[in-house]
Amino acid sequence: MNAVQRREAPSSAQAVAELLASCDRAGEQVQVAGGGTLSGMGYPPERLDVTLSTAALTGIVANERADLVIAAQGGTTIRDIVNLLATQSQFVPFDAPRAQYATVGGTLAAGWLGPRRHRYGRVRDYLIGSTIVLADGTIAKAGGMVVKNVAGYDMSRLYVGSFGTLGVLVQANFKTIPRPPHARLFLAPLPEGTRDRACGQLAALRVAPAAAFWVDGFNAIDGEDGDEGRVVVLLEGSDALLERATLELRSALGRAGVPQTHVIDAGAHEGFERVVDAYIACLGERSVTYRLYPPPDAATGSALRLHEALREFGLRGETIVDVMNGDVVLRVSDLDPHALGAKIEQFDDALHAVEPAAQVVAGEHPNRPYLRVWGVPPASIERMRELKTRFDPNRTLNPGCFIGGI
Amino acid sequence: MPRKNTALPNHSAAVIVKRPPKAMAMLRERLVEALGSDAVKTAPEDLAVYAFDAYTDGGLPSAVVLPSSTRDVSAIVKIARDCGEPIVARGAGTGLCGGAVPLEGGIVVSFARMNRVIELDERNRRVRVQPGLINLALSREVANLGLFYAPDPSSQQISTIGGNIATNAGGPHCLSYGTTINHVLGLEIVDAVGEVFETSIDAAGYDLTAAFVGSEGTLGIVTSAWVRLMALPESVRVWVAAFDDIESASEAVSAIIAAGILPTALEMMDAVITHAVEAAFHAGYPTDAAAVLLIENAGFHEDVEASESEIHALVSANGARSWRSARTKAERDVLWAGRKSAAGATGRIAPNYYTQDVCVPRSRLPRALHAVGDAARENGITVGNVFHAGDGNLHPLLMYDKRDRKQVAAVIETGNQILQSAIDLGGTISGEHGIGWEKREAMTRVYSTADLAVMARVRDVFDPIRMLNPEKIFPAGARCPEVIPS
Repeated sequence: MNAVQRREAPSSAQAVAELLASCDRAGEQVQVAGGGTLSGMGYPPERLDVTLSTAALTGIVANERADLVIAAQGGTTIRDIVNLLATQSQFVPFDAPRAQYATVGGTLAAGWLGPRRHRYGRVRDYLIGSTIVLADGTIAKAGGMVVKNVAGYDMSRLYVGSFGTLGVLVQANFKTIPRPPHARLFLAPLPEGTRDRACGQLAALRVAPAAAFWVDGFNAIDGEDGDEGRVVVLLEGSDALLERATLELRSALGRAGVPQTHVIDAGAHEGFERVVDAYIACLGERSVTYRLYPPPDAATGSALRLHEALREFGLRGETIVDVMNGDVVLRVSDLDPHALGAKIEQFDDALHAVEPAAQVVAGEHPNRPYLRVWGVPPASIERMRELKTRFDPNRTLNPGCFIGGI
Repeated sequence: MPRKNTALPNHSAAVIVKRPPKAMAMLRERLVEALGSDAVKTAPEDLAVYAFDAYTDGGLPSAVVLPSSTRDVSAIVKIARDCGEPIVARGAGTGLCGGAVPLEGGIVVSFARMNRVIELDERNRRVRVQPGLINLALSREVANLGLFYAPDPSSQQISTIGGNIATNAGGPHCLSYGTTINHVLGLEIVDAVGEVFETSIDAAGYDLTAAFVGSEGTLGIVTSAWVRLMALPESVRVWVAAFDDIESASEAVSAIIAAGILPTALEMMDAVITHAVEAAFHAGYPTDAAAVLLIENAGFHEDVEASESEIHALVSANGARSWRSARTKAERDVLWAGRKSAAGATGRIAPNYYTQDVCVPRSRLPRALHAVGDAARENGITVGNVFHAGDGNLHPLLMYDKRDRKQVAAVIETGNQILQSAIDLGGTISGEHGIGWEKREAMTRVYSTADLAVMARVRDVFDPIRMLNPEKIFPAGARCPEVIPS
C-alpha cells in the first residue's frame, strides 16, 4: 500500500486512461471525485491511494443547437450546461442539487433522480452517447450524437447509477428538449386535516405540475409549515397553460381545505432549486438523510409511518415527499451527534425492515458507514458483482463504495 | 476494409443442422416431460414456421416450445443447456434484422401463450405484462382508463411487448415519448442457467434493466415486464403538409426541430410511398406531391393550438404548397393507418422490399436523403422513403424481385451505400430495428474493437457460453473476444 495518498486531475480521456492503467497495474486504488455534492452517498472506499478528480475535464465538446444535442466532458458542472442550454431555449431535466458544483459525470454516476422526471423523463433517457475509461485504461465509446440508436447494448445507460465502479465517465452526450417558457411556484401551508386530500388533489391535477412536494420541516425551503406541513408546487409551460393550471391548482387546494396559496413568478426556479438542494442538505454530524421510492399513492403514508417510528426513537424527522413520482426524503437528526449515533443503527434496521430499498443520500455522522446506505441488496447482487469483476477485476475503482460492498 | 452485408431475404444459406436422431428424440422427450406435448413442436412442417422473421430465413430449429409460465421457461433453459442447444426467444417474428431467426438448430421459445396482463396498477400508471402480449392490445386494454402504452412501432398490431423490449423498439411517437427503454420499469428474467431474477429501475445497483432492453435476447429471457402507462393527451391535432420536392420537406423538418419545436410525431413519405398508400388504403394523402409530412402534436389544448400556427409558418417558409388539418378522429386514424401500413402497400410496386434503418443527426436529414436517392439511382433500384423524420431515422424501402439475382445484388449494394452514407454523416447503423444477424458485421463500422469488447464483457456475465441467441449483434470476428485482462 502507498503510504501517501495523492490527488490527480487529468485533463483528457487519454490522461485518465494512462493514470488508471498505471494505478491498476500498481495495485493502487482510486476514488473518482466530481464536485463532491453527493459525497453523502455510498460507503467510504476500503482503501484510498489516488483521488482522481474530474476538475480538469471540463467544457462543452459539441453543441449542435439545431439538432437538439449537446456533449460535455465529465467534469463540466450541471450549472454550466443548464445555463448554456437556457440561452438556446433548451434544457435537460438534471435537477441536480447544488448544480453550481455538481458535475455531469458525478450526477450520472450517482444515478441522480430529479423531481421533474415524471413530466420530462429521467436523465438516463436523455443520454445518447458516452465515453468511459475502464480501470485497465480502455477508452470505450457507446452510442453517438443521434437521438435514436439501437446498435448494440445500451452501455451508456448501464454506467448511469454505477457509482463510478465500472469506469470513469469522461464524456456524456445528451439530447435536449425545448425549455418551457414560463414557470410559477406555489407555496401553501397545510391546516390540520388537509394533508392527504391536498396530496391526492395534486397527484390528480389535469395539468400535471412539473413538480409537487409535501414538505414538513426543512427551513431552507420556501414557505412556512402549517399544522401538517406545506406544499410546494412548480408549474411550467406556456402563459396560457399556466393560467389554466393556476386556476385548477387553486381550486383543487381549496377543495382540500387549504385556504391560502402564495405565488412566486420571479424566482420560481430558484425556489424549486432550494427544494432540490434540500434533498442532500445535512446538519453536519447531526443528521442522516434517507431517500426511498414507494409508488406515488403510497408515498405520504410511508413518510408518516417513518415519522411515527422516529418519534419512538426520540429522533427528529423532516420530510420531502415528491407527490408526482412517489419518492420520500427523510432527514433524521438529533441536536446531539452522540445521541444520534446511539439510535441511528437501530432505526436503520427498523427502517429497512419495512422499506428495504431505502438509501442514504446525505449526512456526515461517523456511523454512516455502518448503515445500509444502499438499502438491502437485491437478489441480483451476485450478477452485479460479476459485472464489476468483468469491468474492474482488480477492484481499482471506488472499491467497496457501492451496493453490497462492490 | 469494412465487411459488407451479404444477406437479404431468402438469400441466406438455410442451415439445416443435422443432430443425431437419438439426441433429437431425447430433447423432445425431456421437453414434453417438462411442458406437455401440446407445448412442444418438432415436426418439420411446424418448425418451418419459426425459421424466419420479417427479414430473412434462418435454419430449422431443433424444437419450438410454447411455455405458459416463467417456470416453463426456466425448465426449457435447463434442458437446452443439458442438450447443448442454443435458445432463440421469439415474439411475433416481425423483426427486420434476423434477430429472432434460429441459425444453427436450437430451441425457439415462442411467447404466444404468455400474452396476458398480469397486474394493472391504475393509480400509479403502471402495468405488469407477459412478454407475448401484443403491443396494441395493451393500449386497447387500458384506453377506458384514459391511459395508453406509448411505444408504437408500425408492427404494433401484431408485435409483442417482449419483442419490443428485445429490440428497444421505437415508432412514430417516440419523437416525443422516447423508445421502449423509456417505458420499462422493471423486468423478470430467466438467465442462461434457468434461474429467475428481477430488475427495477428504482432499485440501487447497476441498471440491469437498461442492459437488457435492446439486448435482442442475448443476455437472458424476459418473462414479464413492468411498463409505464401514460395519460391519453387531452388534445390531438394531425396535419399533412405537401411539398414539390423531398429536399424542401426535409429542410422543413430540420427547421421545425431547430426552432425548438418537438411535435409528438413528425413523419415523412415520398411520392413512391404516398402513391402506394393511396392505391391501397385511400388514406387521404395528396398524390401529386413529391413528399408529404405527417405531423402530429398532442398534449394540452393551449399548447397544441399554439403550435399549429408556428409549425404551419415553418413548413410554408420551407416551400410547403399545401397544408391540411385532419378535422376528426376518424380522419386522423385513417392517416395514421395509411402511414403504419405503408411498407405493406409497396407490394403493388414490387414483389419484395428491403427496409434499411439508419439514423443521422437531424440537421443532416437533407444530405442523408440525397445520398439515399443517389445510391438507388446508381444501382437502378426503386426506393420509397417513409420514416421518422423528426428523429433523423430513415427507412428507405428498396423494391426488388428476389427471383432476379441482379436485383438482389443491386439492393445489397444500395443498402450498403446508404448505411455507409449515414455513418459518414455521423449517424448510426440502426435507429430502432436492431442489429440481429443482418447488421452484425456492420457493427465494426461504428464501434472500435475496444468498444465491442466492452459490450462483450456484459454478455460474458450473463451468457458466458453463448447459448442465448448466438450469432447476433456481435460481428463474427468478435465471437470470443479476450476481454478479461490477464
